[in-house]
Amino acid sequence: MRPSLMKQVPLFIVLLLFCIVNLTPVAWGFLTSIRQPVDAFAVPPKLIFEPTFQFHWEIWVDKGFWRFLINTAIVSIFAVTISVSIGSMAAYALSRLQSKAANGLLFSLLAMRTFPHILLAIPFFVIAQALDMIDTYPAMVMAIVALNQPFTIWLMRSFFAEVPGELYDSAVMDGCTPWQTFRRVALPIVKPGLWVTVLFSLLLAYNEFLLALVLTRQGTKTMPVAIAEYGAEDITYWSLSAAAAIGIMLPILIFMLFMQRHLVRGMAAGAVKG
Amino acid sequence: MASVTIRNVQKSYGALSVMKGVDIEIADGEFVILVGPSGCGKSTLLRMIAGLEDITDGDVLIGATVVNDIEPKARNIAMVFQNYALYPHMTVRENMAFALTLNRTDKAEIARRVDRAAEILSLGALLDRYPKQLSGGQRQRVAMGRAIVRDPQVFLFDEPLSNLDAKLRVQMRTEIKELHQRLKTTTIYVTHDQIEAMTMADRIVVMKEGGIEQIGTPLDLYDRPANLFVAGFIGSPGMNFFEGEAKGGQFVTTDGTVLPLPEGHQTLSGKIVYGIRPEHLTVDDVGVAIDVHVVEPTGPETQIFGKLGGQPIVVALREGPAVVPGETLSLTPRLDRIHLFDATSGRRLEVTTLGRAA
Repeated sequence: MRPSLMKQVPLFIVLLLFCIVNLTPVAWGFLTSIRQPVDAFAVPPKLIFEPTFQFHWEIWVDKGFWRFLINTAIVSIFAVTISVSIGSMAAYALSRLQSKAANGLLFSLLAMRTFPHILLAIPFFVIAQALDMIDTYPAMVMAIVALNQPFTIWLMRSFFAEVPGELYDSAVMDGCTPWQTFRRVALPIVKPGLWVTVLFSLLLAYNEFLLALVLTRQGTKTMPVAIAEYGAEDITYWSLSAAAAIGIMLPILIFMLFMQRHLVRGMAAGAVKG
Repeated sequence: MASVTIRNVQKSYGALSVMKGVDIEIADGEFVILVGPSGCGKSTLLRMIAGLEDITDGDVLIGATVVNDIEPKARNIAMVFQNYALYPHMTVRENMAFALTLNRTDKAEIARRVDRAAEILSLGALLDRYPKQLSGGQRQRVAMGRAIVRDPQVFLFDEPLSNLDAKLRVQMRTEIKELHQRLKTTTIYVTHDQIEAMTMADRIVVMKEGGIEQIGTPLDLYDRPANLFVAGFIGSPGMNFFEGEAKGGQFVTTDGTVLPLPEGHQTLSGKIVYGIRPEHLTVDDVGVAIDVHVVEPTGPETQIFGKLGGQPIVVALREGPAVVPGETLSLTPRLDRIHLFDATSGRRLEVTTLGRAA
């Protein structure tokens, strides 16, 4: 049934407020990126100014930030592919094993998630240095996969857990091998959930700051580190770092727009029921 | 098609034994229904035949082959599940073709078999739909189609109708029976609904607590239940039981009401249970009086709930008698329809076993 208008109006107001609170910093960032620093920090705020895209041009072309975006993309794509592949296989196995060992494993994975990142960043640095892998893509990819794996396993497991057991029995009766049951029955059913997992692990990899700070140098530096280096120094650079921040938001935004249909289905309850 | 033999099959989970030596011989082409209350082991037995559960001890044979250690797909059996278990990401056609696709059957052959099954079940117009676009009855038919397409030696049904509404259930019951008459494939069907069992089966296996209570045709079970459990389980409304004692050629209930004993049982004496089905009591002025509590007309018959002495009784009468609650009604049990059971073992007392029982 369609909710009545009386109920929709308050909901609409709440959502509107929520959007304003969340989007104001983004809007402010965008405004900062198209203004001279002097205007951006004027008190009271200067509402009439001459918009300029010079900072966007400067940061992406003159300062060569496109290289950092490519680094970020390479690291993210590999990290997501590896961690979602391993994550879905592990999650499938753990969802079907009803043993104490499986539960123990799941909870130890969760415990790993609670470690402060800095606690893990230091050993990662030591390992990478010992292997002479500082400032290489594989070091970054492996560290991000290791960090995000518990998350992808837990998320995927919750989707697999919704698949009715009879479907697996049916697959066995139809002659599926264990791999075929996973690949041809279980995985297609949780596809909306798979896309949700891809998105979240992409966000984690794409925004990863601490590991990138520790493990990368000039060659493989990613966007979050590159921007931070600018933002911290001097007020005169803030328009530049705002322009960069707006820039790295766009690929994720576009990805989400394309995935929107899958994401909504994945987040809706009972997505796998026929 | 093939026969199925279940030979001393047992099942335990660790130290917990849930099935204690079950034997059933199912002939080629037979429609056998396993029926019993929940937890009686009927689904477990079906899953052992399918190969979805390990057999702790004993043998399951399909045809002449012991299949204990043969994996499900090599047993050449198809199963229809309670919740249909259709693959939600596949169309009806893909669902039906899946098993054949997996064993790399020729594409033209798959199409031919799917079309034939679709025709048998009138699913032709639905082949390109997804399960979520189908009604419950249609999904059930697709699940059956998926089984037919494989042309198996044995069909297994695990409570296939329990998710359908009452009207559709009756309709699907007939369809399944027709399907069996047409294909003549050996069928083993699990249900907890005794009416389903009575209407569809060639033979019924009544199970309780992991063991078999009785195997027989529907009318065998109705006319000659082997024990109190089967007598109470088969028939609706259920059989009336009265506890009491046989003496002097009569039966006296614990509260003193006297009921006649059938021919051949007059010499019986001792504690017994007296059983009579609601439909086997007739209105008769010289009978025993019951207090009428509730009168329920169902159309073809009228069910009367009351008390005989202190014990509850249900009567089903074709001709609705003019009684209202609070009145009494005089009834006589049909002598040829009386069932007598041993009070301690619950076993049926046959005329031939009288010597031993008495």
